[in-house]
Amino acid sequence: MSDPIRTTARLLPPFLLLVALPFYLDAFWLRIGLFSMAAAIGAVGLGLLCGTAGQLSLGHAFFLAVGAYGYTWFAGDPGLGLPPLLALLLAVLLAGAAGGLFSPVAGRVKGIYLGVATLALVFLGHHVLLTADSVTGGFNGRSVPPLAVGSFAFDLEPQLVVLGVPFGAEERLWYLGLALFALTWWTARGLLRGRPGRALTALRDSETAASVMGVDVARYRSAAFVVSSMYAGLAGAFLALAFRRVVPDYFGLTLSVDYLAMIVIGGLGSVAGATAGAVFVTALPLLMTRYADQLPLVASPGTTDGGVGPTEAARYLYGAAIVVILLFAPDGLHGLVRRLRARLRRRTGPVRPPSAPGPDPAPAPTPSASAVRTKEHTP
Amino acid sequence: MNDRTSAPPPALAVRDVTVRFAGLTALDTVSFTVAPGSVHALIGPNGAGKSTCFNVLSGLCRPAAGRVLLGDTELTGRPPHRIAALGVARTFQNIVTTAGTVADNLMLGRHALSRAGFTASALGLPRARREQREHLARAREIAELVGLGAHFDAPVALLSYGDRKRVELARALCLEPRVLLLDEPVAGMNGAERARTAEVVGTVREQLGLSVVLVEHDMGLVMRLADEVTVLDFGRPIAHGTPDEVRRHPEVLRAYLGTGADEEDAA
Repeated sequence: MSDPIRTTARLLPPFLLLVALPFYLDAFWLRIGLFSMAAAIGAVGLGLLCGTAGQLSLGHAFFLAVGAYGYTWFAGDPGLGLPPLLALLLAVLLAGAAGGLFSPVAGRVKGIYLGVATLALVFLGHHVLLTADSVTGGFNGRSVPPLAVGSFAFDLEPQLVVLGVPFGAEERLWYLGLALFALTWWTARGLLRGRPGRALTALRDSETAASVMGVDVARYRSAAFVVSSMYAGLAGAFLALAFRRVVPDYFGLTLSVDYLAMIVIGGLGSVAGATAGAVFVTALPLLMTRYADQLPLVASPGTTDGGVGPTEAARYLYGAAIVVILLFAPDGLHGLVRRLRARLRRRTGPVRPPSAPGPDPAPAPTPSASAVRTKEHTP
Repeated sequence: MNDRTSAPPPALAVRDVTVRFAGLTALDTVSFTVAPGSVHALIGPNGAGKSTCFNVLSGLCRPAAGRVLLGDTELTGRPPHRIAALGVARTFQNIVTTAGTVADNLMLGRHALSRAGFTASALGLPRARREQREHLARAREIAELVGLGAHFDAPVALLSYGDRKRVELARALCLEPRVLLLDEPVAGMNGAERARTAEVVGTVREQLGLSVVLVEHDMGLVMRLADEVTVLDFGRPIAHGTPDEVRRHPEVLRAYLGTGADEEDAA
C-alpha cells in the first residue's frame, strides 16, 4: 500500500525523460526503444506466468505471433479491414482466446511439464504461419497496416512537425508504445498486488496451501496463462507495427527462449524486473552489432581476413553479459538494484555500518583477480 | 462479513471414513463427531493417520469409503477450495507459508471471502480497492488477536519459527472459519510460545465461537484445551471420550503413552 502521490512523484521523472527522448534521438535509437517496449510488454506477461504463478512456458512466441498476425489480418487486406484500433483490441482478445483454448492443458499441467507442452504450440504455430498463405502470406509474411486513430496515422503520412522536429513513424510509434507500456505496467501491478496476484503466488509456493485457502487451482492456472497470452498478444501486435512486416521465422523457439532470458535476467516476479530484462535482451545485441566494429580485434564487416565479424563478436559479448549477470546477480537486475539501493541507504542513513565502506562493494571479483595474478608469478 | 460466525457452527461428522494408500490402510472406518463450538483433539502415535484424517476433512485426500458432513452439507468429494469456502480452514504440520509479508499471507486467507477478479484488479476498479482495504483491516485485527500485530508488514521469511506457525494460524482464522483444523500448532515451540498459542486457541474459540479439531502430541495442551478426544492407532479409532476418560483408557496407555507410563508428556 504505497501512497499514490509518492508513487507518482517517483515515476514522473523517468516518464518525462521517456516522453522527451524522441526530440533528441534518431531513428536507430528510437527503433531500439520500440522493440524494447514491445519486449517489455511481452516479458511482463511471461513474468506473471513464470515468476508469479511458477509456470514455465516456452510457447510465448506463439502468442506473440497470434497478436502480430491477428492485428495484421483484422486490420489488413486480405483480412477484415477493420479500424486499426479495433483490430489491435481484437488481436489481444484473440491471443487471450488462444491461451484459453490451451487452458485444459495449462490448468492441469504444472511447472516444467507445461514448458514442454507449450513447445508444441511454437512448432504448430510456425507450421501454420508457413502454410496458411491466404491469411499469413506464407514464408514471406505480410506487410502490416499502420495504426490509425481517426485521421491520425502512426506512419510517415500525414507529415507532422512538433517543436521543429519532424515526427516520422518511429516518433509516433514511440508514444503509442509508451501508452501501451504504461497500460501494461499499471494493469500488471494491479494484478500482482491484488487478490489474483496473491492467489498465484500461493499457487507457486504451495499448491496445497493455496487450495485449502480457497484458491481454485486449475482455474487460476489457466487464468494466468490466458492473461499472459493477452500481454503477449499486445506485444506481438505492437512489434508488428514497429517492424511494419511480419514473417514466420521471427516467431520461432528462439524468441520464446529470449523472453525467458528477459524475465530471468530482469528478476522473476516483478514488473520492473521484467522491463529491465526486456530492455537488456533487446537492446544489447542491437547495440553490440552496431558498435562491435569499433572494438579491438573485430574485423570490419565485409572483410574476409579471418577476424571475428561484428555480428559474432556481438553474440559473444551478449552471451558473456548474460553469464556475468546470472553469476553476480542471481536474482536478476531488479534484485541487484534493490540491493544496491539498500546499501546506499545504509551508507547515507544515520546509522553508519561498523564495517569500512571501502572493501564492502563487490568483494567477489577482487580476490579472484589477485588469485589469478599470484598464479602467474609462481613458477 | 461476519455473518458466518454469528450463528453457532454446524457439527462436523466423520462417518466410517476409510483411506487406503496402495496396500496400506491409513484410516480404517474412523467415525467421530465434532460438537458445535467444541475443541476436539485427535491424538495417536506417529503414523496413526491423524494428518490423513485432516487431509480428508480439508478435501486434499478422497476417502475410499465413508462420508464427512458439515451440518447437512456433504464435504466428501468436494475439491479443497470449495470446502474452504464452506468455512473449514486448516494449518499444516510443517509450516506452509507463501512469499511476501504477513499481510500478504493473511490476505490469502481472505481469498474465499473476497471477489475481486483479474479484470477488476488489473483495472484497479474502486470496488476492488475498497474490498482490499476492508479485508486488510480485518486481517490486521486477526493479526493483533494472535499477537502478530507488530509483524504485520514484515516478510514472513524473516520471522521466527513460532511466529511463522502463528502466521499459519492467523491465515486460517482469516477465512472466518466455522471449523478450524489445527495440525500440531505448537510442535517445535518453546514453553512460552506454547502457552501463548494455547491461549490464542482458547480466545478465538470463545470470541469467534468456532469448532476446533486439534492434532497435537503435546498431551498437556490436549488435556487443557480439548473437550473431547479421539485416539487413533494404526488408522483405527481405539478410544474416545473426555480427556480424563481417555487418559485412563488401557488401550491408550498401551498404544500411545507406552506401557506403565505415568508421565503425560512422554510424547
